Amino acid sequence: MAKAKRVKDEWKRLTVQAAAFLLQNPKLHHFFLGTIEQGKTKAVCVPGLNCYSCPAAIGACPIGSLQASLSGGYKKPAFPFYVLGFLLLFGLALGRWICGWLCPFGWVQDLIYRIPFFKKLRTFPYERFLRWLKYVVLGVLVIGLPLLSAFKGVLVPYFCKYLCPSGTLFGGIPLAITKYSSQTGFAFWWKVGVLAAILLVGLLISRPFCRYLCPLGAIYGLFNRIALVHLDYASGKCVDCGKCEKVCPMGIDPKTQFNSAECIRCGRCSRTCPTDSLIVRFGLRMNDDSHKKSTI
Amino acid sequence: MKRSIQIGILTVLVVTGTAFLLCGIFFNQVSSVLNKATHICLECIGIG
Repeated sequence: MAKAKRVKDEWKRLTVQAAAFLLQNPKLHHFFLGTIEQGKTKAVCVPGLNCYSCPAAIGACPIGSLQASLSGGYKKPAFPFYVLGFLLLFGLALGRWICGWLCPFGWVQDLIYRIPFFKKLRTFPYERFLRWLKYVVLGVLVIGLPLLSAFKGVLVPYFCKYLCPSGTLFGGIPLAITKYSSQTGFAFWWKVGVLAAILLVGLLISRPFCRYLCPLGAIYGLFNRIALVHLDYASGKCVDCGKCEKVCPMGIDPKTQFNSAECIRCGRCSRTCPTDSLIVRFGLRMNDDSHKKSTI
Repeated sequence: MKRSIQIGILTVLVVTGTAFLLCGIFFNQVSSVLNKATHICLECIGIG
């Protein structure tokens, strides 16, 4: 009975993710025309990693916009007030809940991981080291190199150009199929290779891109300790059954890492917990008196 | 983290975030994002 409810709740989350994808990409006819949406709403950043070159997108990807501003997209390099304002406000309100519930590429990875027949792993060797890669990606590909390119007077959004699998899946491949097949070159096939590698790894381990490479997740993770959406853990109720740890898609232990920058607030631990010790809430946290100390 | 500290940090950051947004609008970064986002970034998506 409890398992049936858990499965039903998990499908609810997948439905919310699908709805979030459609809300951020409602102009589906552009997929068939090989054009991209041109509306005024594209001035507004969306919370998830949703490529603004996705034909159906009605908003701008915050990481794409951040690189564009740093590398001279605003005619000359400028401090990206507008994008950072968005990221701060989204991060403070929702933290990495965005990754768990709103990000289109997170949704794709969740679906891929549900494909059976492959041995599922909870973590990789050197997991702690690998998780730091996303901060390297943020520092080097999103901030450092685009900023350097700006001083040379060229606009090179390195993350979008060489790594972003969301752009390849929702933007590059549909546009290459419909209109731009003659313009595909090394960069396109490189990115298709990156996407394929991430999806293949995603068959074995849950959300590899979110864990190891996503710069947007790295930014939102910084807010997890203070964001209004948070995971409450009542140590007094916990019976240490370990079920929460087994179901966590990010491979962390929610009991001791409920404040972790890795937690995407998906709520699987909360739904699995037999004593309701873990609950995802919106609002200010309770004082720490009734909680165990959290480790990152 | 004590609730009062959380409220303090949240308040400071919400004010900062709002100020950043307003500065971005003041410096015309909105139209720049719009301009960027409404053109197919062929390079970004690995075409071209």
